[in-house]
Amino acid sequence: MPNRVAIVGIGQTRHRSTRRDVTLPEMINEAVREALADADLTIRDIEAVFTSSMETFEGIYLPDHGAAAEIGAFMKPGFKVCTGGTSGASVVVEGFCMVAAGLYDTALVIGFEKQDCGETTAAITAATTPVWGKGAVTGAIGEFAKQALSYMETSGAKEEHAARVRLKADRGACRNEYAHLKLGLQTIEEVLKSDYLVWPLRFLDFCPQSSGACALVFATENRARKIHRKPVWIADVEVVHQEPFRAGTFGDPTGKEAYSQHVACERLYKRNGITHPRRDIDMAEVYEPSNWEEMSLYEHLHFCGKNEGWKLVEKGITEMDGEFPVNPSGGVIATNPIGATPTIRVAEAALQIRGDAGEHQVAKDVKSALATALGGPNWTVLTLLKRTL
Amino acid sequence: MRQSAKKTEKQQEYISIRFDAPRKYRWSTGKWIGRTYLEAKENKKIVANRCPQCREVLWPPMQVCGRCKVEAGEDWVELAQTGTVMQYTYLVYPLWDPHYGEKFANPYPNAMILLDDGVYIRHFLEETDPKKLKAGMRVRAVWREDAERGEGTADIKYFRTIEE
Amino acid sequence: MPERVAICAVAQTRYSPDRGDVSEGELAYEAIRQVLEETGLKLSEIESAVTCSQDFWDGRTISNMNIQPFVGAHLGHEDKVAEDGLSAVYCGMAHVLSGHHEIVLVVAHMKESQAEKSLIENCAFDPIFMRQLGLDFLGAAALQARRYMHQYGITAEQCARVVVKNRGNARHNPFAQEPLELTVEDVLASRMLAPPIRQLDTKPVSDGACALILAPKKRAAKLTRKPVWMLGASNCYEAHYLGDRDLAECRALTQAAKKAYRMAGIRHPFRDIDVAEISEEFSYQELLWLEGLGFCERGQGGSLIDSGKTCLGGKLPVNPSGGVLAGNPNQVAGMARVAEAVLQLRGEAGDRQVEGARVALAHGVTGICGQHQAVMILGKD
Repeated sequence: MPNRVAIVGIGQTRHRSTRRDVTLPEMINEAVREALADADLTIRDIEAVFTSSMETFEGIYLPDHGAAAEIGAFMKPGFKVCTGGTSGASVVVEGFCMVAAGLYDTALVIGFEKQDCGETTAAITAATTPVWGKGAVTGAIGEFAKQALSYMETSGAKEEHAARVRLKADRGACRNEYAHLKLGLQTIEEVLKSDYLVWPLRFLDFCPQSSGACALVFATENRARKIHRKPVWIADVEVVHQEPFRAGTFGDPTGKEAYSQHVACERLYKRNGITHPRRDIDMAEVYEPSNWEEMSLYEHLHFCGKNEGWKLVEKGITEMDGEFPVNPSGGVIATNPIGATPTIRVAEAALQIRGDAGEHQVAKDVKSALATALGGPNWTVLTLLKRTL
Repeated sequence: MRQSAKKTEKQQEYISIRFDAPRKYRWSTGKWIGRTYLEAKENKKIVANRCPQCREVLWPPMQVCGRCKVEAGEDWVELAQTGTVMQYTYLVYPLWDPHYGEKFANPYPNAMILLDDGVYIRHFLEETDPKKLKAGMRVRAVWREDAERGEGTADIKYFRTIEE
Repeated sequence: MPERVAICAVAQTRYSPDRGDVSEGELAYEAIRQVLEETGLKLSEIESAVTCSQDFWDGRTISNMNIQPFVGAHLGHEDKVAEDGLSAVYCGMAHVLSGHHEIVLVVAHMKESQAEKSLIENCAFDPIFMRQLGLDFLGAAALQARRYMHQYGITAEQCARVVVKNRGNARHNPFAQEPLELTVEDVLASRMLAPPIRQLDTKPVSDGACALILAPKKRAAKLTRKPVWMLGASNCYEAHYLGDRDLAECRALTQAAKKAYRMAGIRHPFRDIDVAEISEEFSYQELLWLEGLGFCERGQGGSLIDSGKTCLGGKLPVNPSGGVLAGNPNQVAGMARVAEAVLQLRGEAGDRQVEGARVALAHGVTGICGQHQAVMILGKD
């Protein structure tokens, strides 16, 4: 019988675009210490350490080795997971499997990225295979630009809706001490005045490059309750990838593609008896690299019907005080240290369940939450968290 | 490799180390993509293989059809060289590209083009005036000169608007 | 262990100095196709895949994108472990033990021929203090070899005996890249690379892939008549900075081995294990790792090779396959050790078969001077 696994410690760094004051290992250590303090444990209580990052961003080969001491892995088991943008959630999944398997009673799961070390867009462009499509990709931004164009043209969404999503994210970020971009945006006009980056995405429509880390302490059932008053249970996980090169990675003009988000949700929701996500789950932390993508995700994640994502925005349903809050933390558009971002989604969702999100705690009581990750050529990882199983 | 100290008046000095990490690779196109490279170089043709099960053309050509999860074999088909632009985007400011090793603002818009036989290809457009770009415009492949070819899909320089 | 996990099939490509004829995906598929055929599974029946490759080596961010279609990951589950192949097998084991998936494909691929080893390995060294020393794994290994030999009186001849044994064993392994019939003198006469490591003390550049299928006991019977059981496994990190470790020691390996042995019920490694496959990129490493695994006392690695007990036909044959020295890509090495262990336990190892083998040990190493060590115990029963 596999073990039940709970999150009993949460830590993050205060994400910034550059952290010149620390080396990569020192930065990760900040998050580790915070997570251990939150769990009221020492590193001796941790049995294994699992990490994730995209090493081409820092230009460091085997970064988990270089940071072995600072991640607490000295003389402990563990390994590094790397699956692109979803790495931070893939490590949550693998950590979950290792603990559920009965191999460890406690584990540290860490996502990190210090994007000030290298050239992010260059590294992302290097994700195209060098023997195919060389030069015909403009980093991740280009893909999301095409997605935005598709969404604008097919769904009826206007730029004002995208701007409203950006304002929601900024309001959340300004109340989140860990968030990176806190801009104090007040009006739709401010968003629409920002320059175009890759048409039709504006600067403010897309996520930043951040440096930061996020650490979670996992424990099995018999340990969890002794460690923390409010363990947050990992009820289920689902990983769905897609073959690369499918037409329009993030915005499919053919209408033929089955999006990984859609498939992942079907499976996860079915296993957990979720038939009306906005009713059966209390909130979500989704991985939205752009505000346009957030509206698409509402649809792909079955929060609403096709072409209706922008309607949820219009009605304020996904606001912090709304019926189904999405990304009260500010989301990815405010904070994006890529290797850590999916882990941050899980951490933020867990904080909401605990009621520990401080100023960005949502108004309603959160008993269950969905954390999503997006990466690679539209890969998806879903994590379903609950207060009680 | 240089050391540079950042001096700001009231803040602590942080020393950064700069390291240019050149990496050299020699990648194999393998058998399937290799065939596409060959046909492009020698014959200015766009070829791909067709999955025996779903009958879709696999672009890029692939030994295994990802969707059907079966071996796709070598049923090679020649693709049309004209198509319709479905989506496009363009760079406004220069981005780093590791394949070129420097920042460049690619002047050519990047587009999803639906070739006339139903295959999607992602490639550049010749038209750089944003006012003249629109979804639905018809385009045709323009090949590089003989001596310049040998880089697979990059052998197509861009797609030119077909004046109709 | 609560549930038993079986390895139902293994496959390796023939390791080669240059597989410029195939892409990474096609290379991996050569091994994947074989395990599918052997188990009768269709690619669509794979429930999850654990892959093993490195962005730096494939020259591509998100290197597992290269192989998605080949592991059936379209609309499926695939995760990449960025350590040596043995840790990927360990991760696959957890997929099954956790009940999350049942039929798991584990595959490692690497083409050392397509990149510059020294440049990549140099990037593993801490960028502030160590990188500018210009070290790569060979340079660091030379430091370790010197230290180990000085501390325990290990001789160059003893290291050379490892090479003679392993390259010789490789002659009976159809997957081996470069079997060689050598004498100790041949090894000692080969070109010096970084003292004390000579050309023949290390492995050739290698390309290849290895694949396994894992399943829980209740599904294994349909997939194979000869399941091999995973009895125990663990891994362990050492300190990163070379000065923070005594390079003559291998406490991370001892720690990993201790946990793996406890899980598997191994009390006396030398007695309880019938065959061992160790990852030895450099000849001295076989001696050092054998000490760390508890097959002999500390400092006795040289005596152990001299005794002949680790030769084919000896009490505990080590690396009947030829090991890494005969040519394995680093990323695949640990998984190749598992593959060979499985073949031994099934009695399918041909002329290099260790008679009556019932329990085998597989070992994998990642990073500088074996900073990350992994051990797995496999059994026939």
